Amino acid sequence: MSNLLGIDMIGIDLRNSTSNSAQENVILRMDKKYPISDYFPYLIVSDNIRSLDSKTDLFQIDPFQGKDTIKHKAKKGLGIEISIAPARKLDAPLVARWLKELKSIYIFCQSYDCQFILSSGATSINEMISARSFESILNIVGIAPGTYWRKISEWIYAKTKARWQYVKS
Amino acid sequence: MLNHRDKRRYVAIMYDENAKDRPFQVNEKIGIRFKELFGVFQMQSAMLKIYDSDFGNIMIIGCKLKYLDYFLVSLVLGEPSLTVVSISGTLKKLRKNVSQMGFRNIKNNRS
Repeated sequence: MSNLLGIDMIGIDLRNSTSNSAQENVILRMDKKYPISDYFPYLIVSDNIRSLDSKTDLFQIDPFQGKDTIKHKAKKGLGIEISIAPARKLDAPLVARWLKELKSIYIFCQSYDCQFILSSGATSINEMISARSFESILNIVGIAPGTYWRKISEWIYAKTKARWQYVKS
Repeated sequence: MLNHRDKRRYVAIMYDENAKDRPFQVNEKIGIRFKELFGVFQMQSAMLKIYDSDFGNIMIIGCKLKYLDYFLVSLVLGEPSLTVVSISGTLKKLRKNVSQMGFRNIKNNRS
């Protein structure tokens, strides 16, 4: 499926994983470290500011909540993720505001050395989003897609490099 | 006078075959979202058009290249959820790309 979407690597929620063996283009998303993480590359994901700690790799943020909630806890290298799925249900003025907030979170990430991540938030195949569609959203809000992909690749590589070597050995 | 023709892009879109909307209804919904987000003038200029598709739950929509980003944003930020599986400059090439993708396997692996 990742080839179809033009994306090299896909993050899958631990609960939705059906495979028993590590695959090079899949990263498991989990709320804490589980034993399965010894065999898979993984990211610790949180959407609760209270559970955000040094082990958290990725923090899911609602653009309408604003960045103030994480200003004090944002550390260098933290991934800040925005899901597209909830925006589908918004009416047009709110979508416009959502896009505006997207840009401001991107600027926030740049100034705090965090990694801006736009994700589909998909729960089924039909909700998945292709790389070209991500690029269209980035273009509309004024983010260079090339820079975005380069930075996210570097970030994922840094986050999973050691784990990949461990998994492969 | 220059005989100039705007470039178009043809987009193969995967939709949920169990959803109640037919492809032409989905196309209408994309058009409405496009209009809401970018305006009537941009929507008319984009010249969205639905084409015949022989690939089950894949529909094909054509759009002017200049407005492709607007079209894809309308598609992604609207209901129902749709997935772009291929984009091409010609219908022939798009159909060839889609036929090589083996969609039956993806449709059956929904769990």
